[in-house]
Amino acid sequence: MGKYTIKSLLQMVPVLFLISAIVFVLVHVTGDPVNLMLPETATEEDRAVLSKALGLDRPLYVQFGLFLYNAVQGDFGHSFHYGQSALPLVLERLPASFQLAGAGMLIATLIAIPLGIISALKRNTYLDLFISGLSALGKGMPNFWTGIMLILLFSVILGIFPVSGKGGLEHLVLPAITLGAGIAAQMTRLIRASMLEILNQEYIRTARSKGLLETVVIFKHALRNGLIPVVTIMGLQFTSLIGGTLVTETVFSWPGLGQLLVSAVNTHDMSIVQAAVFVIAIIVLVVNLLTDIVYRYLDPRIKYS
Amino acid sequence: MLVITGCGNATETKNETQTNGGTASAPAGGDKTTLTIANATDIESFDTHNNNNTMSEAVLVNVFDYLLKNDAEQNKVPVLATSWEQVNDTTWRLKLREDVKFHNGDPFTAADVKFSLERVAKDTTLKQNTYYKHIKEVNIIDNYTVDIVTETPDPIMLNRLSRMGAGILPSKYIEENGIEAFLKAPIGTGPYKFSKWTKDDRIELVKNADYFGGTPKWENVVFRSIPEASTRVSELLTGGVDIAAGVPATDIARIEGVDGLSVEQAKIQRVLHIIMRMTEGSITADPKVREAIDLAIDNQVIIDSIAGGAGIPTRTSVTPGNFGSDPSLYETFEYDQERARALLKEAGYENGAKVSFSSSVQYKEVAEVVAAMLTDVGFEVNLEILEASSFSEKLNSKKFNELFLLGVGNSLFDASNNYNRFKKENAAGETDYNNPEVEELLQSALQNMDVADREKQYQKVQQQFTVDRPTIYLYQMKGIYGIGAGIGYTPRLDEMYYAEDITLK
Repeated sequence: MGKYTIKSLLQMVPVLFLISAIVFVLVHVTGDPVNLMLPETATEEDRAVLSKALGLDRPLYVQFGLFLYNAVQGDFGHSFHYGQSALPLVLERLPASFQLAGAGMLIATLIAIPLGIISALKRNTYLDLFISGLSALGKGMPNFWTGIMLILLFSVILGIFPVSGKGGLEHLVLPAITLGAGIAAQMTRLIRASMLEILNQEYIRTARSKGLLETVVIFKHALRNGLIPVVTIMGLQFTSLIGGTLVTETVFSWPGLGQLLVSAVNTHDMSIVQAAVFVIAIIVLVVNLLTDIVYRYLDPRIKYS
Repeated sequence: MLVITGCGNATETKNETQTNGGTASAPAGGDKTTLTIANATDIESFDTHNNNNTMSEAVLVNVFDYLLKNDAEQNKVPVLATSWEQVNDTTWRLKLREDVKFHNGDPFTAADVKFSLERVAKDTTLKQNTYYKHIKEVNIIDNYTVDIVTETPDPIMLNRLSRMGAGILPSKYIEENGIEAFLKAPIGTGPYKFSKWTKDDRIELVKNADYFGGTPKWENVVFRSIPEASTRVSELLTGGVDIAAGVPATDIARIEGVDGLSVEQAKIQRVLHIIMRMTEGSITADPKVREAIDLAIDNQVIIDSIAGGAGIPTRTSVTPGNFGSDPSLYETFEYDQERARALLKEAGYENGAKVSFSSSVQYKEVAEVVAAMLTDVGFEVNLEILEASSFSEKLNSKKFNELFLLGVGNSLFDASNNYNRFKKENAAGETDYNNPEVEELLQSALQNMDVADREKQYQKVQQQFTVDRPTIYLYQMKGIYGIGAGIGYTPRLDEMYYAEDITLK
């Protein structure tokens, strides 16, 4: 297992290189940050002076070489917007994003596991249809809209939760539900399918034919095996979670990585975009690896290769 | 020699007038001691020399002071300087206040002025450098007197000194700790001290009890950054914030429907331009075509239908409150569809005149209405709506075809700033505007130290622009602010939030 982990970690290096190269090219060909840094009244001469001072007048391959050379040393350059080193600016946003993503995942799991199981057990009943309808709705509602509606109902009309910003736990509730709802919808469907497959297995039929109580069959035999794919599902949902934070953080003015990335793209703050994408890529790769390891641990039938 | 002096108490006197003669102490009525203001964007940093965004300045004016500042009517009033005079064409002499301390207790002296102004003038990586690069040096005459020496005569030195890039930073503190440390724990001389900054969430300031202008009104001032407009409005409706900037026109009724809440509209320093290419061979090189475009557009309809009434039609970008403005061109516009059609016919475009019109997605709705109005009089409009970064890329490389839409601000409050892009050198490749008479006026006005004559020069330029039309103007924008219960706030033309001018009713 150790060998497998090391091999997987080594495989991350070319992936990260590739991602950095793609992001570098994209941010450099899609526009010039100097424009957005100067007032509309700035002259060409002003732009040239600033371009030179920031090293943006050098050929792209030279800039990329310098970027790689500095990046391996953990230096992603200076943020034009904030005038500070980019990587620390990105890293200081992680706790807020992790908090939101964790809470969103928790809510998604709490909703999806019971609904998925009930849906599978009551297959093709009105209850199943209702839950399926609910997941379709959850999947169809954009985070942006869900967030605004939740604010309207729970903050403006009912006055239960604060509207936006980061503070105590009460600030976390609405953004976490917004983020969790869409993911819960998708997870419910996947858990339902996975449970259905298991309920059709021979050993479940055997357990039932032995005259075991239905609850024992479900919770002792079916669920333990049925939950194994849930780990994979949760791992896979992690990327949607990151995508979801971009929008959710903006709606709720939550000071996480998502909002930083959105504003960095708007202001063309190249070093922040590069550092943020790099950090997100590492997180996704690590989560995928962890999912793999946990899955293999839970299901001994899978061999390491 | 021009001599202007002001008494050191002017700013305080003004505050007192605004608070009904009350003392500048804790606000009366209730125990509300924290003022919370919501903006769409966060500040860039606490480096006043390296910001290029009005919202940043609006916050930073509470922490840092200028040598002088604009009052609500754009008059220059003393802050850290007590008086100023012009010694010769390239030298300004300023006397400084002697009772000012930075937030860490260090005294404010001439050394801080020299450090601050020379930093912004010499460091070309700073975003504000472009406005200050002609400052040659700052000479310390004594601890509380400085001479600012420029490369060339600068008629708008006072305008430069009363805006963001001229914020006075603590020289000793920065020299000892470095700029990175300063940015993490910034200090200034202003009425509020830095307490905490959670980026993209909030900035917390606390009152500076040692402020030279008297004890500040609020215990705490909080600036929230809330990018989503409907979230900002919701915060206002629930009392989460006292002032919300950038309220969408569609939400005005919703706010006004709540007891105690109100909406204020105020002119801001931004005018929407349609800039036209006069390059030989392009259809808009023909003055009749440009006039037809001007006449085809009903500015008031755009203001009412798209901006919810929050705008003022204008035929100049030098609006009142700016040096050089020509009031005869303000609050007016030309609109005559029949004449526009006739002009196109005269110009030989009876069967449709093809023009391309580019806009950033920010002004999409305005661009669509303009395109429809142009189509009405016989233009065939190829409308191009671009994302912000691709728009600015095309702007920079001067790749727009006949027409493009641009909102232009002016933080200098001087007409010179409005005509930069129309000077021959900068216009080449963009508008290709070239009127030798206008060029001479613009170049001369840049260094003309005769105030009255300079004003006339800019007024002449504005009149000529209504004939030449290298650009036409749609309207001056207004800011829409939602104001919470019990808060007294009059939004300013420069969009600054001087917390000391915001009161409890």
